[in-house]
Amino acid sequence: MPLAEEEVSGIALFIPEIYDIVWSLVVLIVIAVAFYVVIMPKFQAVFDERAARIEGGIAKAEQAQREAEDTKRKYEEQLSQARVEASKIRDDARSEASHIIADARSRAESEAEQITANAQRAIESQQQQAMVSLKGEIGTLATALAGKILGAKLQDNATQSAMIDQMIADLDDDKQ
Amino acid sequence: MGSVSDAMLLAAESGPHLPSVSDFLPPEILFEGTPFAINRIILVRLVATVIMLTVLIITARRAKVIPGRWQAAVEWLLDYIRDNIIYQVMGPIRGRRYVPMITTIFMTVFIFNLCGIIPGMNIAATASVVMPLAFALWVFVQYWRAGIKEHGLGGFLKEELLPAGVPWPIYIILTPVQLLELVLIRPISLTVRLFANMVAGHLLVATCYAFTQFYLIESAGAAVKVGGALWLCGGLVFTCFEMFVAALQAYVFAILATVYINQSYPEAE
Repeated sequence: MPLAEEEVSGIALFIPEIYDIVWSLVVLIVIAVAFYVVIMPKFQAVFDERAARIEGGIAKAEQAQREAEDTKRKYEEQLSQARVEASKIRDDARSEASHIIADARSRAESEAEQITANAQRAIESQQQQAMVSLKGEIGTLATALAGKILGAKLQDNATQSAMIDQMIADLDDDKQ
Repeated sequence: MGSVSDAMLLAAESGPHLPSVSDFLPPEILFEGTPFAINRIILVRLVATVIMLTVLIITARRAKVIPGRWQAAVEWLLDYIRDNIIYQVMGPIRGRRYVPMITTIFMTVFIFNLCGIIPGMNIAATASVVMPLAFALWVFVQYWRAGIKEHGLGGFLKEELLPAGVPWPIYIILTPVQLLELVLIRPISLTVRLFANMVAGHLLVATCYAFTQFYLIESAGAAVKVGGALWLCGGLVFTCFEMFVAALQAYVFAILATVYINQSYPEAE
């Protein structure tokens, strides 16, 4: 160890040289200006922008979620409306069908009644006709029959006409 | 220069070239005798400044919202300073305006300290008393300014020197101590803590490597070489330790600066 170095006292370390002061201040000011003007504002801006973007992203996501929920609710409403409508349509159809059936039935019944009535009327008129023709024939037959039974008895005209008158009177009484 | 070559000669012949206080008072190598003289420490300081600013300005220029790996690393450090040092102590509202200042101090002290273990530099750029003192004076100005702005000069002095809730006889002792603290102790302790740490760190590491050189390279004999290897291990350990100290001292300086400034503000929020 050289003696010259031994002689340097520790106190000397704390006695600043002028050039040390100069260069310390120069360096400090340069660094401080660089930090204040360039470095920190830039990083701060980047931090802020990032934060803003993250917040914007979160807001956007929230909005998307809200929209999705709205859509879902609308869809569900529509679905339930559609369900109600469908059941209404079903009910209508069912009631219409029963109407149609009832109509058809009543129409069929009335038609049937009409057919029955017509038939009845036809039967009655035929009966009448039969009766009329029967009446004519019965007169002739009865005369002939009576003639055959009585034979001789009716050979005189007076008896014959009296009997015929008597018979006609009886028939008229029967008829009334 | 004669004494230096003598020293080399002596070291080679009679013992290791141990570091000494004179390492921190290196000869001027440029502009000798002028106020702009440059010695080894100042050269290291200038180089460190240029490198740090170049790297950081380029990083800032290229900074994107989605960071790359390097930008993320730088941002991690800046975030750490802002959130864990400044906002932790004074909160975001009060702290926001001090972010550039404390960041400047932390980053500069940290990088300057690291120069102590960077090969070729081998001495911290903060290892001359004026650099730590400059930072300390900056802090000093800031906490006085904050105090005067918040309370007015009289109010600030009353707050600091005659704190409320203390029985009056105590003021006889308390007031001078407080005044001393406010005017001298704070800046001096900041300065000396950093400076002495850097001096001690350099002496420690350089001593280890001086013995390594002496025993491992310049001496003969197996046992001595083993001793030299142990000194080398010690040198490596202390180099790592100095990295830690570089960060720790930057942290301590920054957090004390923040605390001092914060104390100038009224306590009740």
